[in-house]
Amino acid sequence: MKSPGNKILYTKNLSKFFEGLKALDRVNIAVEKNKVILIIGPNGSGKTTLINVISSFYEADGGQVFFEGEDITNLPPHEIYRRGIIRTFQIPHPLRKLSVMENMLIANDNPGESFIGSIGHSWMEREEELAEKAFNFLKFLKIDHLWDTQAYKLSGGQLKLLEIGRALMADAKLIIMDEPIAGVNPVLAHDILKRVTELKEEISFFIVEHRLDIVLKYVDYVYVMANGRIIAQGSEKDILSDKEVIEVYLGDTYAEA
Amino acid sequence: MAQEYLILNILLWIGFYLIVALSLNIEYGFGGIPNFGRALAVLMGAVAVGSLTNRILMLYFGIGGQIVEASGSIKTITNDLVAQNPAAGISLFIISIVVAAILGSLTGALFILPSAKLSEDYLAITLLSISEVVFMTTYYHPDIIGGYYGISVPNFFAFIPGEQRLLLFAVLSLFFAFLTYLFVNRILTSPYGRLLKAMREDETVVKTYGKDVMKIRIKTVAIGSGIAAVAGALYSMYAVNVIATNFSRVEWTFYPFLMILLGGLGNSRGVVAGVCAFVTARITLTTYKFEIAQAFNLPFDPVWLEYILFGLLMLLILVYRPEGIFKEKPIYTKPVKKVLKKEGVLK
Ligand SMILES: Nc1ncnc2c1ncn2[C@@H]1O[C@H](COP(=O)(O)OP(=O)(O)OP(=O)(O)O)[C@@H](O)[C@H]1O
Ligand SMILES: [Mg+2]
Repeated sequence: MKSPGNKILYTKNLSKFFEGLKALDRVNIAVEKNKVILIIGPNGSGKTTLINVISSFYEADGGQVFFEGEDITNLPPHEIYRRGIIRTFQIPHPLRKLSVMENMLIANDNPGESFIGSIGHSWMEREEELAEKAFNFLKFLKIDHLWDTQAYKLSGGQLKLLEIGRALMADAKLIIMDEPIAGVNPVLAHDILKRVTELKEEISFFIVEHRLDIVLKYVDYVYVMANGRIIAQGSEKDILSDKEVIEVYLGDTYAEA
Repeated sequence: MAQEYLILNILLWIGFYLIVALSLNIEYGFGGIPNFGRALAVLMGAVAVGSLTNRILMLYFGIGGQIVEASGSIKTITNDLVAQNPAAGISLFIISIVVAAILGSLTGALFILPSAKLSEDYLAITLLSISEVVFMTTYYHPDIIGGYYGISVPNFFAFIPGEQRLLLFAVLSLFFAFLTYLFVNRILTSPYGRLLKAMREDETVVKTYGKDVMKIRIKTVAIGSGIAAVAGALYSMYAVNVIATNFSRVEWTFYPFLMILLGGLGNSRGVVAGVCAFVTARITLTTYKFEIAQAFNLPFDPVWLEYILFGLLMLLILVYRPEGIFKEKPIYTKPVKKVLKKEGVLK
């Protein structure tokens, strides 16, 4: 992780306060190109806040975010997307009344989405391309049979899959996922992580996840957060044997591992 | 005769209200923008006719002085001219419609601009207030549309006998409503319509996927307001008299909201059903309200009947059928259907 050229994203002393609470305290992390980075940490340690600040849903109170060498701190969220970053939500954000297929189709650009564009026909080709892509991702996530179901009727696990599906639609260079497999059955979770991370030739991943038993085997590098700070980082092995990490996070579950 | 008048009157108002309700459905039904300032856009249509077209004619005929007084002479001169020269009348009519649409769009965009960042409920209140302020200004300032005197508008169809006017305007309003329907349907059964619905459901998602919500809101209100202004212009040219009080928030904001809630948000068929049902009920009710009050021996002034019944209707819809008469359907464009068929999931 030394050469900056390899880092698609990195933060520099990124900080965020909520009325005195240091939700992020000078956080420095880096995502290397074509790698899968994992962030773990106990509840309330600041993982989601980190994602929210990187994606500009929250304004940073200090520090910077760099993407492909450029300072993107506090750019508006839609600008962050334009740069090639997409994030998913820990609590899924479905477009509730829209069908699964419609949910997928808004996740990329289409000239027909502008008022002027919608009058003509020039968007049809793009629309077909996107529809094709969307349906293939639905098959990939094994929710293609739900294409016509309104999103509010989906189960928690299915909503998580839809979140992933939309993120995959976006042609992003970096996908940030907040607990992507929470509520997804282990067999499917393995399957999805395996196949999603196979895409790392083109996309870099930054994943927050609690289910270490499932996720660890797909990641290249791990950060551990506690109380808004990075308390450890390294390979899976380094982390699992780190005393402080065991104490604040892993507890009994992994102590013997 | 009375029967015929009633029917034509219903058709006339179905036309006006279809235009306004369809425009509101773009903004609220699809985009989730609670534009409680709809009456403002309709009023702008009246301003376009009463103020702008009149001023153009003032310049053309070289009439000076205050617009209120001048509008009387303009009316006489123009009516004479149009009676001889129908083409001139039709041109003036078309110019007025175009000016109304432009003025409506600009005003819509201008007034949503400072408030587009607000969340839904604040936005609704802000737009309502702005609409009221403009309403008051036009009512008390005589130089816009004559203040509380109102202003005269020439009869651009003076070449048609007076008895045919209602019929003519019923046809015109329905014709413009039909055009609006085609246009609105075209733009909404597209990725644009889908995006508007997405924005209504969850702005956060739309932002996350790279869309500029502010821009979409402003453009959408501009389009909706431009359309609504056409109804205001048509109505003013029908009435050949413009006064601000004809553009109240009850008639041009609350009633259109009721109509689209009744018909079902987010689909044009629903809007048509809602408008037809509402207008028919309303005009029948207002025409026969004294008879109804007598028949049922109502203990209050029948003037209140309309408000009471429509308030009640609003509650009934929201409690028993919040989705309206027609449920909204997903938007699957032709290319999407093609793919779904290829995948064998759509017949
Ligand atoms: N919008 C907010 N306003 C105030 N406090 C907040 C806000 N968002 C997060 N916090 C606080 O910041 C801290 C970090 O929260 P965050 O959601 O980032 O934790 P997390 O690591 O994602 O936890 P979990 O594993 O439960 O998802 C918590 O103490 C939380 O209560
Ligand atoms: Mg979290």
